[in-house]
Amino acid sequence: MALPAVLRRPAVVTSDRRPPVALLAVVAVIGVLAMLPLAYLVIRAAGADERALELIARPRTVELLISSVVLSAGVGLGAMLLGVPLAWLTTRTDLPGRRAWTVLTVAPLAVPSYVLAFALIAGLGPRGALSGALESLGVERLPSIYGLPGALLVLTLATYPYVLLATRATLMRADPALEEAARSLGDSFGTAFRRVTLPLLAPAIGTGALLAALYAISDFGAVSILRFDSFARAIHVQYRSSFDRSGAAALALLLVAAAFALVWAEARVRRRRAALQVPHGARRVARVVPLGRWRWAAVAFCATVVGLALLLPAVTITYWLVRGLGQGEPLQLLAHPIRDSLVAGAAAAAVAIILALPVAFLVVRYPGRLASIAERALYGAYAVPGIALALALVFFSLNVVPFLYQTLALLVLAYAVRFLPQATGTTRAALMLIGPRVPEAARSLGRSPFQVLRSITLPLLRPGLLAGAALVFLSTIKELPLTLLVAPTGFGTLATQVWGAANEGFFARAAAPAAVLMLISLTSVALLLRDGERSA
Amino acid sequence: MRLSGVAKRFGPVRALDRFDLELRSGSMLAVLGPSGCGKTTALRLIAGFERPDAGTVDVGGRRVASSGASVPPERRRVGVVFQDFALFPHLSVRDNVSYGIRRDPDRDVRVDELLELVGLRGDDRRMPHELSGGMQQRVAIARALAPRPDVILLDEPFSNLDQALRTQLRAEVRQILRDARQSAIFVTHDQGEALTLADEVAVMARGRIEQVAAPEVIYAEPSSPFVATFVGVANLLPAECRAGIALTRFGPVTLIGRRDKRREGRALSLLRPEHFLVRDAPDGPASADTWQVIGRRFSGSEILLEVRATDGQRVWVEAGGQVRRLTIGDRVELRLRDIETVAFAPSAGLTARSRDEPAAREALEPVEPPVH
Repeated sequence: MALPAVLRRPAVVTSDRRPPVALLAVVAVIGVLAMLPLAYLVIRAAGADERALELIARPRTVELLISSVVLSAGVGLGAMLLGVPLAWLTTRTDLPGRRAWTVLTVAPLAVPSYVLAFALIAGLGPRGALSGALESLGVERLPSIYGLPGALLVLTLATYPYVLLATRATLMRADPALEEAARSLGDSFGTAFRRVTLPLLAPAIGTGALLAALYAISDFGAVSILRFDSFARAIHVQYRSSFDRSGAAALALLLVAAAFALVWAEARVRRRRAALQVPHGARRVARVVPLGRWRWAAVAFCATVVGLALLLPAVTITYWLVRGLGQGEPLQLLAHPIRDSLVAGAAAAAVAIILALPVAFLVVRYPGRLASIAERALYGAYAVPGIALALALVFFSLNVVPFLYQTLALLVLAYAVRFLPQATGTTRAALMLIGPRVPEAARSLGRSPFQVLRSITLPLLRPGLLAGAALVFLSTIKELPLTLLVAPTGFGTLATQVWGAANEGFFARAAAPAAVLMLISLTSVALLLRDGERSA
Repeated sequence: MRLSGVAKRFGPVRALDRFDLELRSGSMLAVLGPSGCGKTTALRLIAGFERPDAGTVDVGGRRVASSGASVPPERRRVGVVFQDFALFPHLSVRDNVSYGIRRDPDRDVRVDELLELVGLRGDDRRMPHELSGGMQQRVAIARALAPRPDVILLDEPFSNLDQALRTQLRAEVRQILRDARQSAIFVTHDQGEALTLADEVAVMARGRIEQVAAPEVIYAEPSSPFVATFVGVANLLPAECRAGIALTRFGPVTLIGRRDKRREGRALSLLRPEHFLVRDAPDGPASADTWQVIGRRFSGSEILLEVRATDGQRVWVEAGGQVRRLTIGDRVELRLRDIETVAFAPSAGLTARSRDEPAAREALEPVEPPVH
């Protein structure tokens, strides 16, 4: 999953060991690759003429900015309101069916926001399944879910797992003796939670909520399906509708700035959390809190969230799939998007792993300033909203490397560099487990560095590399703006298929690719979660 | 503070079983036992983190738990010092200590007083992660003392500290608790800690108290082979008891305690390593009285030798003075000093520990001296 990889950014450790020049050179190339499009975006926007500046200064831009901020603040808040109680219920209480809820409440992480948005309008929208059913009962109009309410709902449901996972991890690590100490010093259960547990959870909750807000401000798919005028959507409209693309570049740059502000805030929260950790010995498992008569209210809460985030998409997609098949919606339309998704995902995963290896080696074996600069550059690129990166790549390839414009190679490279932190995260974790002593032992037994790499390091790294590849694959087939803007003409993945059809209101046509996408996503998340539990 | 007839099970595991314990006001009691004997469970029942399945718990003359009802931990007036200290990482030293007395108008004075007591006067603004292990320990004690609890519980309080610090802090903590005239119970699996720190030691095994007594009594007059072998190094040797005397292979030994004085017939007598006088055996063929050194354990202040007789009997003895140079293979003669000791029924090890076969077998043979 994207979240743990992002959360696992390590503290900077300095080392006297000098990395080999070749390794540094390779990593430098990768870092430049990651930052180049962005740099170009800056140059392009700086060279924008008066009209573009006017575009930025006009009231409409301020309006967009405000609505994006409202959306991301609302989503951050909503994600906390859902994520924190769910985390507590699934870790500390006797919630009936706790194990099942643990999996079900995290699973929405696998549902792309635009699929959720599609499910919402195709299920509850004005021409959706519910209103279709109600029409026969004489109900003409349902409250509109387009615009802000729908965007808030969809993005909150898509992002609360970030808060849930971060809070859960802290709750499981937190020493139950802290709460007991507070109790023995005269606090009731509720007071101890407020005075001790909540302050300890605050940084984790903050990190999760900021990630949710970052997701919301960058989201393109859901807001455009729900016709909500956020910055990301406006950039797309500007790009599509005007010949002067400098305006779009300037808007994109503003969005990047907003995203970086959030990343900066998240880093601050994280630093505070690092200072809060106290080394401890072995810890006991926390006592289970009996919910008593609140049990069924808690179950109803979990069921509502899971119902909206998982069941609603599943039911809606099934409904439209069956209806579409009944009306002769041709299934062979799926063959192309599936093939394109698999090709793009597999190629991106392979390239990302190849790029991740040198970065992970540098970061783990030669920690220091150079390594941390390289890592920051990659994470910086990761935080750039997809639509801005896509625009930057379009400009860059058109003007600097025209032979790459509209090629599959550029698209795959774009995916790989964008999702590189996911691959480096798992590779680095695996590499840290091996430690420098094991290869050293192999060297002392008479093997050359290359033989050691082949016979010891790579086999030991394999689980980490595979997990990284799976994450990149999953992210690639879900990715929308990059595919939409950078892919060669005629190339379309499941993601663009769902988005295109849903955006035009062809619900039945969107259902089949959405179903395939959800199945692939849920399966991969289930596999990743299972591996995570096993290694934890 | 009193627990009577307390039972507690965790699923199939019987952690405590008809457990009785009493603490006199102002005194320090050590609960000593091997890991998994239920001592931490006993503490958690007193603190109110667990409820007893049966039996009652009284603190400060109040009933705080019975099988039906349980006073929540915050209203028990029981302070706890946790094994890993459990300092609130988001609060400064001062805020940690004043946590339990926030409604006390004199809390600042009280905190200063406590920080003075634990020797952390100048560190009140520091955060827990900036403190050494020993300092964290002292903050934890000050925090538990702050609300003036009726009793303070310490769960393996020194196990997270290194050896040198441990010895120093033991003495300090004892003094701090004495100065505060604080009743305290601490659990430990370290016999040295229990014997040096406590006014009374309760030895626990398998969810029950085996013996409660002053440290000297626990060592000199253990009530069972288990206590004898768990506290110190014990040789349990066959003997014939008659009229207050145990006749061992080393000669007669006076028995102490009324119960032991009345004992007749075959028994196991307890002989500690320091009960023996060791000297070189004269050259010549081995006789029934010569013992061969087969093991040696040096611990700085003393040397323990494991010796074996021609008939296979093994004994741990303390080698002092000029026989310190003895090494494995040397032959020695043993004599008993003028001592008094206890004896157990020959089957005592088996009946008292019938639920615990391996321990029973160990109890019949001298166990290896624990390394401190």
